[in-house]
Amino acid sequence: MMFVVETHDLGYRAGSDFEIAQLNMHVPAGAVYGFLGPNGAGKTTTIRLLLGLLRPAKGAITVLGQPMPQASVSVLARTGYVPERPHLYPTLTVAEAIDLHAAFHARWDKPWASELVSRFDLPPARRISALSKGETGKLMMLLALAQRPELLVLDEPTDGLDPVVRRDVLEAVLDYVSAHSATVLISSHLVHELERICDWIGVMDQGRMIAELPMQEFKAGIKRIRVTAAPRDAGNAPFTLLARASLNGSGEEWLVRGWEPAMRAFFDTAGASVREVVDLDLEEGFVELLRSFRSPLPRT
Amino acid sequence: MYQNTDTFPMFERLDPRSPTPLYAQIATRIRVAIAAGELRGGDPLPSVRHLAAKLRINPATVVQAYRALESDSLVATRHGAGTFVAEVGTERRERDRIAEARRLVRELLGEAGRLGISASEVRNAVDHELNGRKSK
Amino acid sequence: MFRAITRTQWKSSRGLVLLATILAFAIPIASFRTATDVRAQGGLFLGAIASWSVAYSVAAAGIGLSLAMIAWSPDHRGRHVYALTLPVARWRYVLMRLGAGALFIAAPVAALLVSAEVVAHSSSIPIGLQAFPIALTIRFTIAALVAYALFFAITAATARTAGIIITIIAVFCAATYLAAAADVHTTFFERTIEWIFATPGLLSVFTGRWMLIDA
Repeated sequence: MMFVVETHDLGYRAGSDFEIAQLNMHVPAGAVYGFLGPNGAGKTTTIRLLLGLLRPAKGAITVLGQPMPQASVSVLARTGYVPERPHLYPTLTVAEAIDLHAAFHARWDKPWASELVSRFDLPPARRISALSKGETGKLMMLLALAQRPELLVLDEPTDGLDPVVRRDVLEAVLDYVSAHSATVLISSHLVHELERICDWIGVMDQGRMIAELPMQEFKAGIKRIRVTAAPRDAGNAPFTLLARASLNGSGEEWLVRGWEPAMRAFFDTAGASVREVVDLDLEEGFVELLRSFRSPLPRT
Repeated sequence: MYQNTDTFPMFERLDPRSPTPLYAQIATRIRVAIAAGELRGGDPLPSVRHLAAKLRINPATVVQAYRALESDSLVATRHGAGTFVAEVGTERRERDRIAEARRLVRELLGEAGRLGISASEVRNAVDHELNGRKSK
Repeated sequence: MFRAITRTQWKSSRGLVLLATILAFAIPIASFRTATDVRAQGGLFLGAIASWSVAYSVAAAGIGLSLAMIAWSPDHRGRHVYALTLPVARWRYVLMRLGAGALFIAAPVAALLVSAEVVAHSSSIPIGLQAFPIALTIRFTIAALVAYALFFAITAATARTAGIIITIIAVFCAATYLAAAADVHTTFFERTIEWIFATPGLLSVFTGRWMLIDA
């Protein structure tokens, strides 16, 4: 598998604490990679490191096969970026901002840019400082897409946008991805949005990558199991027990990772019985994963 | 004909949170539409690009759905032209309708079981509803 | 790329350039008017003109300074993120911005030349000084460019660093005036200023002989 973004043992420090430590990240080519993590996990910092806006304290970064930040000029030519906070020159009009961006990107797609202007309903003569939040978000996405990048890095691109704008923006991204074989790295709080569009997921917490795998595996991997006559000792279970709680009267609910249907045998031999096995959705899975990472159950 | 419209009522309210994977949900809806005769042999399916964008889902998911349908001989992809509904015989469609009906009933019975509703109570309810429809 | 940067920088700078052009045009004319009045009162015409030399120095410095600050103001707002994510080497980008602003200085320079020529030809100035407007314009151009480049370099840093440096300058000036007002006898300020503006040196263009004659 070819990776469009790779970090090896990446470390970054802002102040006395290591904000990011031993970060190993791999974004496969052609993936729509969802970058999940709670506030303060270091997602935006990681993105800034990937794009050469920050210098790493240690470790290696490779984007599109080239080392960063050394090759930033050629990598940025092939990478579209939508930052968390608007970064465009406020005194320019929409049309001027587009012309400026076009002048710096050799692969600029002028017809696609015009199409997006009308699709996004952007007023070409209005100053950026006078645009609404949604219009600014759409403009930044337009600039990133019309560049015809091989890699799209989106840092909370739909945060604070109303549902209609969110839909328009995501539609344009997916439209682009289908038409060109591009890779998308999207960081977002909006777990349900990521759930629809991502086929890979990377979960970051406290400066470290705690899980990185295909979306299907992640969702299928954590299950909620209703058990009656549950065994007290789960130490030698074939799966990872993340949490267990008693359901008043009707047994226990176990949260497990790495479940396979054949593992029912574990319960059978312990004299317990499995009543139900339920998949968690992405949000629940994410919350449980974080919980187990931060306060792992002691191994009995 | 879905190629030129902007909305896909058939695919409304896909549930990414459901244990059924998205591609399976999409494939099922197309399968049911074919079984019901809503989609006929030769009808084009929306392009992967168009459907993925409109539904805001990963294009690979759409590809997976179409592939699943293709391996079931319900659709055929013509290189460069897109994906089209295959000529599906009446027996096949009837079989799919029956399979879908059974699936719906399975869901219903599963839900009823969870709520402690007995089999005879379910049967009575079904008869009641069907009679109600007849009299309308 | 340079054209695109020049166009966007022009948008921020055009108001200032207009003001600078008017100012540059006005100084020779104003100096001519006061000199004519002085002559009418029996004073020395050329001497009156010469007393305006400070105005040219200050104008050149002011134009350079403000153009430099305007050049970087859009980047400062976004903390340089936009420029840093463009696929262009940082030094190249900085050079393009520098070049764009330097180009704009042409407008006030041209205005100065025209105005000075008009003044020179409309009064009875000795033949030897007829070429003076050109010399004046050249000196003005160099002064403006030096001020521009200097403050451009300062403001290319973060807005904070630029602010610190300008504050130091302001404090120094204020201290000079306070010392004079309080009648404190020290040659510290004079010596520092002499040292900064000493010839040979870039900054010497601001002092020295703006006018070819001293009154």
